[in-house]
Amino acid sequence: MKKTIQIPLGSQHISLLEPIRFKFECENETIIGVDADVGFVHRGVELACTRSFEFKQVGYVVARVCGLCAITHSLAYTLAAEKLLGYVANDRIKYLRMLMVELDRIHSHLLCLAHTAENAGFEALFMQIMGDRELVMEVQEAISGNRVQFDYICIGGVNRDLTSELCDLVRKNLMILSEKVEVLIGLFDNNWSLSLKYKGIGVLSLEDAYTYNALGPLARASGLATDVRAETSDFPYEALGYTMIVESTGDIHARNFVRLREIVNSIAMCRNIVDNLPMGEIQEKVKGKPKGEEIVRIEAPRGELFYLVRGNGANILERVRIKTPTFSGIPAMMEVFKGSQYADAPAILASFDPCMSCTAK
Amino acid sequence: MFKAMVEAFKNLFKPVRTINYPAQEISLPNGYRGLIEHDHEACIYCDKCEKVCPPGAILFYQHEEGGKEYHYNPWLCIYCGECVRACPKPDEALWQSETKQQSGVKEDGVNEGWFVWEEACKESREAYAAAKKERKPKMKSEEPLCVS
Repeated sequence: MKKTIQIPLGSQHISLLEPIRFKFECENETIIGVDADVGFVHRGVELACTRSFEFKQVGYVVARVCGLCAITHSLAYTLAAEKLLGYVANDRIKYLRMLMVELDRIHSHLLCLAHTAENAGFEALFMQIMGDRELVMEVQEAISGNRVQFDYICIGGVNRDLTSELCDLVRKNLMILSEKVEVLIGLFDNNWSLSLKYKGIGVLSLEDAYTYNALGPLARASGLATDVRAETSDFPYEALGYTMIVESTGDIHARNFVRLREIVNSIAMCRNIVDNLPMGEIQEKVKGKPKGEEIVRIEAPRGELFYLVRGNGANILERVRIKTPTFSGIPAMMEVFKGSQYADAPAILASFDPCMSCTAK
Repeated sequence: MFKAMVEAFKNLFKPVRTINYPAQEISLPNGYRGLIEHDHEACIYCDKCEKVCPPGAILFYQHEEGGKEYHYNPWLCIYCGECVRACPKPDEALWQSETKQQSGVKEDGVNEGWFVWEEACKESREAYAAAKKERKPKMKSEEPLCVS
């Protein structure tokens, strides 16, 4: 007689924001086997980039891959295209791009923390964090002119400049936010009932993180020091006070803490950017057509985002390949589920911060 | 426990953080990216905006006598502002306003109506190009006659 039962989670489930299906093989309450299916929101973005749109327009198309890290996607594509065209952006453009990416990281991490809280059964904390997240959204809306689809980065620069009033708004809102994040850190660290749901649950060991190639906060929570920001030199992160945040326990609590401390680090970097913004043009003319092949790696909020762009000297590109952090992290995620309780699955899943529309694109 | 109760009691008198939306207007920030507006008198009809528009929300209908007509789909537009940056006369002929587009309803013909225009604009271009081609060989055949 079969001793295990199969319980599906998804593709539609109360704890999921986006469609993903996990098939859990359970022995009583313990999960012993996992199978994942992610292709529910495939939209054919990669093909559209090489058929319907010219290379100057593709930056706006890939921004629609994901609502949360729209700016990271368009930045990764733009960097690849600029490398093909032989253009190097000036310091002001680099700083403005970094500012938006870091703001993006802050609000994405806050969303993930809110979701982890909600899926562990803390609705009020979810509301509180989402309320605090508005501070960052407000700044991004004021800078780029839109709340979600920023369309801020274009080939050869950025579309809008940072005025002194905007600088003041950034400083003011980040000041309020940093106080709120301090309170959240205390709450996530000391609250007894939160620790029941988070501490020692969903553990990914350092060896497993290596074996299954974990990335982003998932890897850093297990003690694996990997961050594209430290590995590439496209942006002057070191000069702006970037520190790699690494935890050692590898459970949900550690992942939350990596995110919280990264928010603190990002806030400090954003302040540095606003205070030390160099002078220069915000948009420069880039001539030519992309020819050749280029790869770009960018640290998205969830981990390494990989872009391959190939052009043959025509207006329309030959190939655009997008490898998103969630897709690369699936083997590690499946490993975490094994051995944990079925009831903890929603909270563990939320702590990965999976982005399905990125993965299926 | 006591602390939590005090906190809960305090929360009763705190102001709400959400906006009472339909009753209360949502304030848009300065420089909100809204609808694209066009002035047909200032426009020189160079078609640059049409070429750069990522979703193809701007179309020009070609009249047979040579004039062009501007068409804009506010629901297809992604408000990126590429057209305004490409325009040789920005702020005069084409500019981005701060008005927010209302949701489209069936009567607006958001899709069907626009497909008709897309087809019509494409056909008008082809017809105009064909007419131009026809006129050109005639002119050439007339020229030698004049010389002789």
